[in-house]
Amino acid sequence: MSVRVTIVEGSVGGAGGMAPLGGMVPAVRSHADSPDVGVDRRAGVGAVLVFEGIVRGLEAGELIAGLEYEVYEPMATRQMEMIARGLVEELGLVSVRVWHSRGRVGGGECSLRVVVRSAHRKEGLVAMERFIDALKRDVPIWKRVVGRG
Amino acid sequence: MTVRVLLFGAEAQAVGAAGVEVLVADGARVEDVRLALASQHPGLMWSMGHARLSRNHVFAVADEVVSATDEIALIGLVSGG
Repeated sequence: MSVRVTIVEGSVGGAGGMAPLGGMVPAVRSHADSPDVGVDRRAGVGAVLVFEGIVRGLEAGELIAGLEYEVYEPMATRQMEMIARGLVEELGLVSVRVWHSRGRVGGGECSLRVVVRSAHRKEGLVAMERFIDALKRDVPIWKRVVGRG
Repeated sequence: MTVRVLLFGAEAQAVGAAGVEVLVADGARVEDVRLALASQHPGLMWSMGHARLSRNHVFAVADEVVSATDEIALIGLVSGG
């Protein structure tokens, strides 16, 4: 069972990302392309869930350049680790891995990526929803629109 | 004692600073810091109904005792993801 949280400057890459960050997080096209999604047979993984939050290029019908994320980093990291660890323990997950952006992320780019690995899909799906709900309620990260119109 | 309170997001924009200082009595609790913020920085009054205080990177409860060396932050409505 493991938990890992990483805050990265700019886009975290991912399937929606148009500008992956220096190759730190490879764009996901298939499991074969993505070492962090790859499964160790001995870990008993039967489900891998990947969530990617993408910055919408439209805000209230208006084109935007992107979002600027402000992160209270020590607390945000600690909160995400605590939330993920709680879910790992409660639901018996194999692992939770999280990347979140700070700074500017363009429209269409990925700002959040969560990978949950579990023995069965059910607990993975529950964990994913609960993690993201908790993130949006209890993790000190703020965003503001940049470049309207 | 003087306690520095870190600000982010809309709260930081409201006062035009990344932090403010408040004067509280020695042995003050988190709730005293909240009350001091509201009275000494009226520009933050609007957020007192929903914002939470953290102490050393953990959400704090009202009766926790605060020291001048603690890292205190006012955490308004968050919007990560």
